[in-house]
Amino acid sequence: MRDVAIIGAGMIPFGRRDEDSLMDMLAYASLNALDDAGLGDKSVDAVYVANMGAGILQHQTAIASALVDRLSLFPAAADMVENGPASGASAIKNGLLAVASGYYDAVLVAGGEKMREVTGWRATDFVATLTHPLAEYIYGVTLPGMAGMFTQLYMEKYGVTREQLVQVATKNQKMGALNPYAHVEMVITREGILDSPHAIVNNPPVAEPLHLYDACPVSDGAAAVVLCPLDMVKNAKKRPILIAGFGQATDTHALQEREDPTDLKAVTLAAKQAFAMAKVEPGDIDVAELHDAFTILEIAESEHVGFFKKGEGGKAAAAGKTQLGGQIPINVSGGLKARGHPVGATGVAQVVEIVWQLRHEVSKERQVKNAKTGLTINFGGFGNNVLAFVLRRVDQ
Amino acid sequence: MNEIDLVAYKCKRCGRIHYPYHDRCMNCKGREFEEIKPEGDAKLLTFTQIFNLPWGFDQRFLIIGVAEFENGVKAMGQVKADSVNGLKLGMHLKPSWEPVRAQNGESVYGLKFEPEPEPSEALPA
Repeated sequence: MRDVAIIGAGMIPFGRRDEDSLMDMLAYASLNALDDAGLGDKSVDAVYVANMGAGILQHQTAIASALVDRLSLFPAAADMVENGPASGASAIKNGLLAVASGYYDAVLVAGGEKMREVTGWRATDFVATLTHPLAEYIYGVTLPGMAGMFTQLYMEKYGVTREQLVQVATKNQKMGALNPYAHVEMVITREGILDSPHAIVNNPPVAEPLHLYDACPVSDGAAAVVLCPLDMVKNAKKRPILIAGFGQATDTHALQEREDPTDLKAVTLAAKQAFAMAKVEPGDIDVAELHDAFTILEIAESEHVGFFKKGEGGKAAAAGKTQLGGQIPINVSGGLKARGHPVGATGVAQVVEIVWQLRHEVSKERQVKNAKTGLTINFGGFGNNVLAFVLRRVDQ
Repeated sequence: MNEIDLVAYKCKRCGRIHYPYHDRCMNCKGREFEEIKPEGDAKLLTFTQIFNLPWGFDQRFLIIGVAEFENGVKAMGQVKADSVNGLKLGMHLKPSWEPVRAQNGESVYGLKFEPEPEPSEALPA
């Protein structure tokens, strides 16, 4: 198997993008990544497109073929990858394996989602279609609802507090306010969403015990990367970033069938596989993008990947260990919480952020000093399909 | 009162109870199952109150819970309560089989759980 590098990374700002179609967003992000790779007027061998809902939300299918057409990448091979909210990382995995195997030399991976053109209740229903149709969906459960039930159990078992959840929310929104690609560029304070008498108005419950600012926004957006064998890009203009490790694992569809529903086994397994392949330990990671669709998930994932012991993640967040300059900076992009969560784009956007961090290209206020190794966790379903990547800066 | 029309699956080889259906046992990969019904009252394992409802629900909120029946079947359902105040993990629930949503103009039936008062609340002081 060949070592695979990311030689180009591109995004468009996430948010409400009424003026752009899904295909516009995928095309813009892809062009940014191709230009970044120095392939602006070249083709690629294959294209993988991550998307969860175009068939439902835009009534459009076969979007990988449509993206090749927009970018005149003929006759590149093209596939769409749908794996719920983990579609982005799944598409990168497909590109990684295709290049590592020696079959393709240049692969474009793009992820995108357009969720704001439908009403909130349609978007909520669309995401809820990933739950079990008979055992869960019919009851009206939503992803915030799944996270709410998970939080009840996590609070009961590990003593996670609302104050700790608020700490994650304020940290990530502070970082999002510094990220020009973030959907929500607004600093919030603990007083405004927890302590003040107005907090219940500012921050109403969405799925008890989770409140509005515990949840990511519904976003439009797209992100893309270009993959190539490492030995073909050693003299590249931009520093290549090695995909040093990869892991993926699954768990039961219905949450109640897990022996211990607070145990996110797929997160643990995916991270372990990625660490083993990269020959690193959790303590070697300099910067991490964890899938914080809800604040509780950042805390739980920080424990399940091994940054902290079970039950210590909330305390670590409250102590500032996960902020920029702390023991392990998590979601310095703002995470899903502030950057936004266009579901098909998220896994790719996480990798783009780590690429920029490892190239030391982001603004000083967000840059993790001397970052050499990064981790991403892309969490599909409610933890039933999880992917992890370990990325490494390559010395030139 | 409608009979609870939920079928769970007990592996004939190892006895593991599944709900929903799997084609192979999660424990031993066996393919033969005995169909069983949830039995007795249920115990609340976790719950939430959802305020942002999906398409198809015309109400202010929903309270959703996961419960375990006396014979080990675990399932999700809607909790009949006005708020989550008073709900506690481990409390007893009375299950029923009622319409839980409408799809294409027809009622879809599923589990509902009614919280049972704690003995101290049920008995006069």
